[in-house]
Amino acid sequence: MPSASDPSSTTTIRRPTVTVARAGRVVLLVVLVAAVVSFPSLAPNPYILSAGILVLNYALLSTSWNFVGGFTGYISLGHGALAGLGAYGTGLLVTRAGLPSFLALGVAALVVAALAVPIGYAALRVRGASFVIVSIALVLVLLLVFQSWASFTGGSRGLTVPRPFPDLLRPEHHRVFWFLFAGLLALALLVWWLIDRSRFGLGLKAIREDEDKAESLGIPTFAYKLVVFVVSAGFTAAAGGLYALWFGDLDPVFQFSILTGSYLVLMALLGGVRTLFGPLLGALVVGTALEYFKVEYGGTPLHLVATGLLLALVVLFMPDGVLPAVAAMLDRFRPAQQSIREVTAAELREQRESGVRAETELAATRPGTPSTRERA
Amino acid sequence: MTSGALIFQSVVLGLLLGGLYALLASGLTLYFGIMRVVMIAHSAFLILAAYLAWWSHTRFGVDPLLSLVVTVPLFFAAGVLLQRGLLSRLRPATLTMMSVLLTFAIAVIIEGLLGYAFTGTQRRIQLGYGTANLELFGARIAVVKLIAFGLAAAALLTLYLLLKRTTFGWALRATIQHPDAARLVGIDTNRVAGHGFGIGLATAAVGGTALALDTTIYPSLHWHWIGPLMAIIVVGGLGSVPGAAAAAMVLGLTQSLLQIPLNTTWAQTVFYLALLATLAFRPQGFFGGRLAQRF
Repeated sequence: MPSASDPSSTTTIRRPTVTVARAGRVVLLVVLVAAVVSFPSLAPNPYILSAGILVLNYALLSTSWNFVGGFTGYISLGHGALAGLGAYGTGLLVTRAGLPSFLALGVAALVVAALAVPIGYAALRVRGASFVIVSIALVLVLLLVFQSWASFTGGSRGLTVPRPFPDLLRPEHHRVFWFLFAGLLALALLVWWLIDRSRFGLGLKAIREDEDKAESLGIPTFAYKLVVFVVSAGFTAAAGGLYALWFGDLDPVFQFSILTGSYLVLMALLGGVRTLFGPLLGALVVGTALEYFKVEYGGTPLHLVATGLLLALVVLFMPDGVLPAVAAMLDRFRPAQQSIREVTAAELREQRESGVRAETELAATRPGTPSTRERA
Repeated sequence: MTSGALIFQSVVLGLLLGGLYALLASGLTLYFGIMRVVMIAHSAFLILAAYLAWWSHTRFGVDPLLSLVVTVPLFFAAGVLLQRGLLSRLRPATLTMMSVLLTFAIAVIIEGLLGYAFTGTQRRIQLGYGTANLELFGARIAVVKLIAFGLAAAALLTLYLLLKRTTFGWALRATIQHPDAARLVGIDTNRVAGHGFGIGLATAAVGGTALALDTTIYPSLHWHWIGPLMAIIVVGGLGSVPGAAAAAMVLGLTQSLLQIPLNTTWAQTVFYLALLATLAFRPQGFFGGRLAQRF
């Protein structure tokens, strides 16, 4: 095709990169799924598998956190408490009410989601600062309540949750829960992806970028924030409940820990809050590091220092996360990526028109091309 | 049996505690006013100051009050550095959220380093006058609590005079009210903001020393303080120093009175109940001004 010269050449340059990127994404997704499916058989011993489940649990919690943190930019340090509520809710429903394990998990997640409505109502009516304060207060007050109300919650002695599959041996038990966690994570990722592509998601992102402008455009900001907070709380509580069924032993100090909440934030920020797989990647890095630190250095308070330093570094130097930083680096090597400032508005209009023409196969009849004129 | 003397004693203790809360909350309010920053690390610095007071007492045998000579200038410098070196480097668009994370990180680092240096063991200063009591209309008030209150009151008074009577105070209040206008009339708002943070952190030094006099301290104690303090600044109306002081007195008193029928832990939940109720029904707080409307 000799006549389809320059205008279509701009599209032919762009198209392969798009398809390459898409193919790369599909390959990555397949690799990820394959890795998740094969990990239980590859894990050399049950300890590694259980450590893997912990990391998966973090990935799930962090992805759930990212419904609020990623879309709206409201940073919650209290999601550890929502997970703790889900865990205790599941445990208490099983032990006190005698519900079957997984029904208890579902009910607990719904109850926590319902509880998130009044909490969100108080936290989200005003802007940012109050939300953070409420999220921290939530952890502190729940810790107080669950430690003090010993007759109901077991207090500081903890709460033992019976296993859902009493017949399974420990390695088998781990294997089953690995796939349960992976399934819930896949569901959370799917919902995040769907919201990301929806009108609702656009509204949420507008809130993140500029809440005043979003509001003036007619987005019901308060309702949007509340809905996404409730969704996030539901997923977080379900993750906590699943953890309770898997681990079988709950201690208020660990369930209502502000540190857990900060781990989730660190993971999501490190991976990149605006990307689907960012929190998952962050959980892989931070979760593995946490497990390693626990094995190597045990209970010294140095893990606090390490967490704090890492968090401070991420906030100061990489607030958008690793994934966007890598993407920006890759962009430099991509061909035909012009900064918009190098093109005038008139040239841009011509390019767009010629692009449309190329799409409708009209370009073949027009030899006079913008890019040749550009060159002249 | 709740006798009148017991209630009177609780009222006095509540007021004394409220004074300490008021001093600490004033620091938090300053940060929020200057930069819209919720400074999570404030109470960690409080515990750090308490540890320094304890350490100077056990190591050198000096009175813990003397440690103020070192900690107040030190904390002032740390505050200036914190604002100039770290917080002012954050992007303005996401400042409120990111500053929370940054100060949270600092709080965790301080807690970890304290645990590393002094272990997690509970510490307490043994003073000659530590067990002395004062009889007042049938109520027994520990002398150290009175000293702590005196310290807090003196620091608050100094802060008040500084803000109202000095040129620096005017500049600081102008910076809080309208940074652009303050710059137009020739105020170096960056410098003033840094010094404001220094003063805020200096209140933590005074508060920490007062706290060390009659409290058992341990590295993770700061979480027990940051919750009530944040509740106080929200109830008082974010950014309002008198509001924070009033809320501190009212809530400190309520907590102290609730300790009669309930135990200590349940009594502390009053702060969180007040926080939720305030945000749900009067989000701008009870004494808040223009600033609080939007946060």
